[in-house]
Amino acid sequence: MLITTTSSVDGRPVQEYLGVINAQSIIGANIFKDIFAGLRDVFGGRSKTYERVLEEAKEDALRELSQKAQAIGANGILGVDLDFETIGSGGSMLMVIATGTAVRL
Amino acid sequence: MKSYFATYYPSLGAAPVESTVLVFDKNLSIGYRNANGNNATENWLIKDVQASFDFSRQVSRILYVKGAGELQVEGNDAAKFINELQAEQAKAWHKKSSGKEWIRNGALLLGILGLLVLLYLLIVPWLSEKLASKVSVKTEQQLGDAAYDAMGLAALEDKDASLVLNDFFSAMDVPSAYDIRITVVKDNVVNAFALPGGRIVVYSELLKQIDSYPELAALLSHEFTHVNNKHSTKSIFRRLGSKVFIGLLFGRFGTVTSVLINHADDLKSLKYSRKLEKEADMDGLEILLQRKIDPQGFTALFQHLKAAAPSNSMPEFLGSHPDVDKRIGYIKESSKGAAVQENEQLKAIFDKLK
Repeated sequence: MLITTTSSVDGRPVQEYLGVINAQSIIGANIFKDIFAGLRDVFGGRSKTYERVLEEAKEDALRELSQKAQAIGANGILGVDLDFETIGSGGSMLMVIATGTAVRL
Repeated sequence: MKSYFATYYPSLGAAPVESTVLVFDKNLSIGYRNANGNNATENWLIKDVQASFDFSRQVSRILYVKGAGELQVEGNDAAKFINELQAEQAKAWHKKSSGKEWIRNGALLLGILGLLVLLYLLIVPWLSEKLASKVSVKTEQQLGDAAYDAMGLAALEDKDASLVLNDFFSAMDVPSAYDIRITVVKDNVVNAFALPGGRIVVYSELLKQIDSYPELAALLSHEFTHVNNKHSTKSIFRRLGSKVFIGLLFGRFGTVTSVLINHADDLKSLKYSRKLEKEADMDGLEILLQRKIDPQGFTALFQHLKAAAPSNSMPEFLGSHPDVDKRIGYIKESSKGAAVQENEQLKAIFDKLK
């Protein structure tokens, strides 16, 4: 599976467009991570705990996107766009939306 | 997750098809077009495959041991990655990298929670008391006067009774850095309280029920101890300290968490309040014993409070004062064999009230 943010792949023309696909992953940083991050907020510095949650959410969204692409017979996803949003009361949850065009290269 | 372009042999000797392979932590899925030209996917568990690198053809061969399928991927990366996954799966849970992370995070969390509990239970109260003891008598007086004015009690004052009570207390001759000012307020509440800086307020209804001078002496020495030991100021600082601490830690959380935590904090401050009340009882009793005033005054006073309290009384841990029966108990215990001597001067002043 070739996942790229560009709209074409060098040397590999698109043979078939299979449509726009998207996947989302919503992750709540749990109460303990919030405590760690809260301390970070007080004392300053990089919050690795939140960074990991972000990374995890992104991985989940891309994994789901590739599974969807595979199920419709694609072997590549072009023009992938990642959107990050916070949702829930007080922005306590993180949502990642991955969108792309499934193609057969 | 990793993905590969692979040649897929659905069964032994079958025609190869082009496929895309997604390798996850526990399984891999193969997407391909079957003989009818439809999209199809296969799902293999990582533990059910055998991956090896065929050096002569420079391909990774992935064999499905529960069936006849085979995948061939160019290069050695696929075989290497699957072998790594299998090695990781074979480890005991606490040796896996995810398990190790859990253990490390758990230890870190316990450490931090322990530190926070220590801060909350020991250091914050200690610091608050330290700060409270630094507050000058004058500041406390200003604080108490402001509170007294805000309550608007001056208008309800019974001036004659106040005068008698002040006389009574000076006759008790209790040394203190504070200028003790006692006010009798006309109201039908059976209660009395002390403000920081030396103000003591007694409600007329309680005064009416008191029928001997040791009782009055007990009441005043109890309230005096609250003033002299800076109980109000300490409570204020303690409440403030723990509120700030809790606010810093849990302020960002939702309503449910903050309600739970604030209630737990309230219960803890009630426990502190009971401790101060007991201290006031014991130090007050000491004042009585030094002056040979009958300690029965305390028990009689508590009986009045008990009679005034609603019959279905709350469990002790919800109250700001210790249980009345308990108070009677420890006063009796500590005043055993006390020498009692009639104090004519106090008696004469007390009789002016009646």
